[in-house]
Formats: sequence, C-alpha cells, structure tokens
Amino acid sequence: MLMLLFLQTMLNGLVVGGIYSLAAIGFSLIFGVMGIVNLTHGVFVIAGAYGALLLWNGLHIDPVLSALPVGLMLFALGYVYQRTIIHWAVSRAAIEASLLVTFGVAMVLRNLMQIFFSPDVRSITPPYSFESVSLGPLQIDLVRIVALGASLVLLLLLGFVLARTAFGRAIRATAQQPLAASLSGINISNVYALTFGLGAAFAGASGTIIGIVQPFSPSSEVAWTLNAFIVVVLGGIGSPSGALIGGLLLGVISTCTAQYVGANMTNAMMFLVLVIMLLVRPQGLLGNAFGESR
Amino acid sequence: MSRLALAALIVAVLVAAAAAPLWVSPFYVRVLQLFFFSAALAVAWNILGGYAGYWSFGHTVFIGIGGFAAAHFVMVFGTFGPPPFSVVVPILVGGTVAGVIAAIIAYPFLRLRGIYFAIAMLGLSQVVSELVNNIDWFQGGVGVFLPPSVPADLPPERFYYYLFGILLVVCLGISAWIRHSRFGYALLSIREDEDTAGMLGVPAEQYKIAAYIVSATLIGMLGAIYAYSVGYFTTDTLFRIDFSLNMIVYALIGGIGTLFGPVIGAAIMLFITQLLLSGFLSIHLLITGLIVVAIVLVMPNGIIGSVRQIWERRRRKREARPAGAAGQGERH
Repeated sequence: MLMLLFLQTMLNGLVVGGIYSLAAIGFSLIFGVMGIVNLTHGVFVIAGAYGALLLWNGLHIDPVLSALPVGLMLFALGYVYQRTIIHWAVSRAAIEASLLVTFGVAMVLRNLMQIFFSPDVRSITPPYSFESVSLGPLQIDLVRIVALGASLVLLLLLGFVLARTAFGRAIRATAQQPLAASLSGINISNVYALTFGLGAAFAGASGTIIGIVQPFSPSSEVAWTLNAFIVVVLGGIGSPSGALIGGLLLGVISTCTAQYVGANMTNAMMFLVLVIMLLVRPQGLLGNAFGESR
Repeated sequence: MSRLALAALIVAVLVAAAAAPLWVSPFYVRVLQLFFFSAALAVAWNILGGYAGYWSFGHTVFIGIGGFAAAHFVMVFGTFGPPPFSVVVPILVGGTVAGVIAAIIAYPFLRLRGIYFAIAMLGLSQVVSELVNNIDWFQGGVGVFLPPSVPADLPPERFYYYLFGILLVVCLGISAWIRHSRFGYALLSIREDEDTAGMLGVPAEQYKIAAYIVSATLIGMLGAIYAYSVGYFTTDTLFRIDFSLNMIVYALIGGIGTLFGPVIGAAIMLFITQLLLSGFLSIHLLITGLIVVAIVLVMPNGIIGSVRQIWERRRRKREARPAGAAGQGERH
C-alpha cells in the first residue's frame, strides 16, 4: 500500500513535470540564446490559456488543437516585442535593463488581463476532463495524459528544429558567438527576434495545455515565470532536454512534498531546491546548451 | 555649493520636516509617513544594489525577519522603558537579527552574481515566508501582536511619522558616509568590475558582505517599525513581494547608485500612485509598469543620472566656447 502510494505520487509528479518542462522551454531558449531573463514569460503562458478559453467557449475548438493558432499569435507578439521594447532596452541601457523592462511589461499586461478577463480564477473543461485511465493499480486523469503527450511532442519538435534545420543551426550559432555568426552571413537581429517569437509561441502553446489541467487567473503568471526559472536552474539553459529533466524533477519534488511533508510546504521546498541548486551548481544539471560563450 | 550653505539647507529641511505635522492634515501626515518608510527602504536597498551592484529581488525577507524578531522578543522578554521609548530595544533587536541572518547567508549567496543573486534572494524570501507561515512556533499564520507604544498625547500617525523620519535620516547618513568613504569607492569598483577590483587589491569578498549586512540591518529595523505601526500582523503583512519590487523601482526611477535617487524616486512614485491615482486602484499596476518601462527606455540612469548628463553637456559646451564669452554663470 505504501509502495503503491509512492508510485502513484511519482507518476503524478512525472506527469505534472512534463507540463512544467513545456512551460519552461520558451524561457530557457530566450535565456540561452540572448541572455535575457524574460519576466513576461508567465504572462505569455497565461495569455495562451485565455486564448484557448476564448476559442473553446466561442468556437468549441479543443484546447490541445488551439495550441497552434494561439502559438502563432504569440509568435507574432513575441517577434514584435523583441524588435521594439526589448531591443531598445538592451541597446540603450544594458542587458540587465531587460529584467526591469520585461517586469514592467508583465505588470502592464497582467493588469490588462485583469481588466479584460476579470481577476477571477477560470478553467477549461473539455468533455474528457473527468475521465481517467488505469495503469494496473495506478490511476491517472485523461487530461493529464493528453497534456503530457502534447508536451513531449512539442519538446521533440523543438529539439528537432534546433538540431537539424538551418534555422536551428543559425540560432545555435548566434547563441555561441553573435559576432562570428553575423560574419558568417546570419542576420542576428532577425534570429534574436525569431527566437523570442519561438519562445513566446511555446509559452502560449503550453498555456493552452495548462488551461485544461489547472485553474488559472491573471495573477498566476508570477508562479509560471518562477517555475520556468526553477526548471532552467535545475536542468540547464537552452536545451529541450535540460528543460525536460528540470521540469520532471520539479514535478516530482512538488508532488512528493505535497504528499509526504505537507501541501502548504510545496513552494518552500521548490524554492529551497532552487536556492541550494544555485549555490551548488548554478549552471544546471546539463549545463548551458550553447557552450562556454557566456 | 559651499559647505556652510549645504549644512544650512540640511538644517532647514530637517526643521521643516519636524514642524510639518503641526500644520499638515492627518491624511498627508500618513502619506508622508509612507514616503519616509518607502524612501528609507530604497536607500537601504541601494547600499547593496546601487553601490555594490548586487540587485536583490527579495529584500522584503529582512522586513519580515525584523518585524517577527521584534514581536517575539517582546513576547519573551517584555518591554523595556515607558511607551515612547519601549520601541527602541525591539527595533534594534529586529535590525540585529536581520543583520545576523544576513551575515550567516552572505558568503554563499554573494558568490552568485547578477540575475542569479537576484533570483536566489527572491527564492530566499519565499522560503522564509512559507516557513514563518507554516511552522507553528513563529505564529506567522495566525499573526502576532506588538503592544501599542504611542504616547497618549500624540496621534499615532505623527508618532510613526517621526519614527520613520528618524530612520530615513539614519539611512541617508549611513549611505552618504559609505558613498564618500574608501569602503564606498571599493563597492563602486566591485559594481564596475568585481574581478579587476579584486586583482587591484580591493577585498571584494569582505566589502560586499559588509554592504549586505548593513543593508539588511537597516531594512530589519524598518521592518520592526512597520510592524509596530501595523500593530497586528501575519506573514503576508510583512513578506510582501511588492515591497521588494518597490525598493528597486524607487531606486531605478531616481537613479540607482546615487545618494538621493531612491528618495526622489519614492517621492515621485508615491505622489503618482497615492495622490493622483488614489481613485483608480484597478490600474495601479498598469501605471507602475508603464513608468518602469518608460524610465528604462528614456532615462536608463534615472532622473539624477539624466540631470547630471544634461549639466555635463552644458558645461562642456560652455567650456568649448572661447574664454571670456558671455554665459559664464555660476557652477553647480
């Protein structure tokens, strides 16, 4: 019985962790390529959830399918955002200024979401949201399986794009050596904007999936930004595999803490692990995917 | 400005501030009290964040530690002295406990740099606040009391106005002393390039730990006073993420790393949010966010930095003109 509870806790942790991974990869990519800590990240995630909610309520599009249109929308938003505000801030002040600018924009957007969508907690409930699947003696919600599957597919897709396509090669080159990349004919300001767009798109897509698994409100954006940071610190910067490992660890840590220590200690435990990890190995378990350049 | 004129100006400001509650309405005394508190927080944050360049995103942890340390001290040892002076010992205890805790964690935390230090501090403030909330001994969940200590013949807002005012003067005094001492110049060199500073013989490790402890102690004392002014408080009253962020925003707007920048920033932001927009609570966040973005884009060095740049440009232009030309006005 005790063993069964442990296995069930681990399973729940891994499933939640898959979602954490997807929610963090956009943040990780932007951090790895540009060195920018994007504090607007959580807003992108929650905006994705609201996008899925609107599409579900208005057109009855399944939240998992709405990841595509929502992702495209956020791609455009992220592209323009980098080309304007982020670029201005980094070129006029310093890379640290991006921290404050993204924080300021996050405040503005959170307030706008509170005005448009009300500060109430919302959730998306597709018809399959109350079904569950049994794996032997273990139980798991169908939505969580769908969410986990979608997360893994999207992470694999990103891994493929980064490793095998010309665009991915350009991103990796720019992250390692911006100057050398531009000397080789890469338009680095375009790569920066596209990377930012890609990061925002993945954040939005993860938001559509988070919407069916967890309730959300405009103010939950802070938690998703912090989660993304913890995942990156645990796993390592810039790579889908780092985000996956960090996310799974975070998921297991939070469910195990909730189960064995107390549900009100999960945040404390997550941040404790973050602080310890920062002190022991700040580059994450897998290190920076883009090498020693930074 | 000559030394004498500066001293006269300081005395005049202090006298005006001391006399202000006598003719200002209680509402504005409260606003000024909040201004003193916020400005003192930002000045204390600036000692570490501005001079040494270590931006803490979780300084509210020391507000909480100061407040809870003061309350637990009073619960265990009782009060010392009659009411107006009974606050002194708990405030000092709050500051000392915050300083000691800062000293314990300083070495590992200050090995982190830049964004990692910022986020580690944010994480620390979350961990400590959850521990205070969930461990029964701290009573953070149910809340703790500090005994009322306002003398009978003084309205409470005036009492805390003076208390926060004194702390602001103390913070500014320490900040000014640091700014113009060898210690301060060493901190600035750490901010500019820590490795080079270390190579040139600046004991970077000790100095930044010292700055951290000074900053934490001042914030701890402010936290204890704030706890007194609230009277009854829980974890969420003191461990507020917006305290941490406001310290940065005030310093940023006025000018990070300058002596009076945090004070000017606090004055401007409080004027906007408390007075101009007091009726529009729902868009406070929006306005604050827009101001932060605008300041970073338009005046990345804050108000003081930008004003200095303009002066500098004018001075150069004047000097570029042939000697004896008109316009050799007074220098600042």
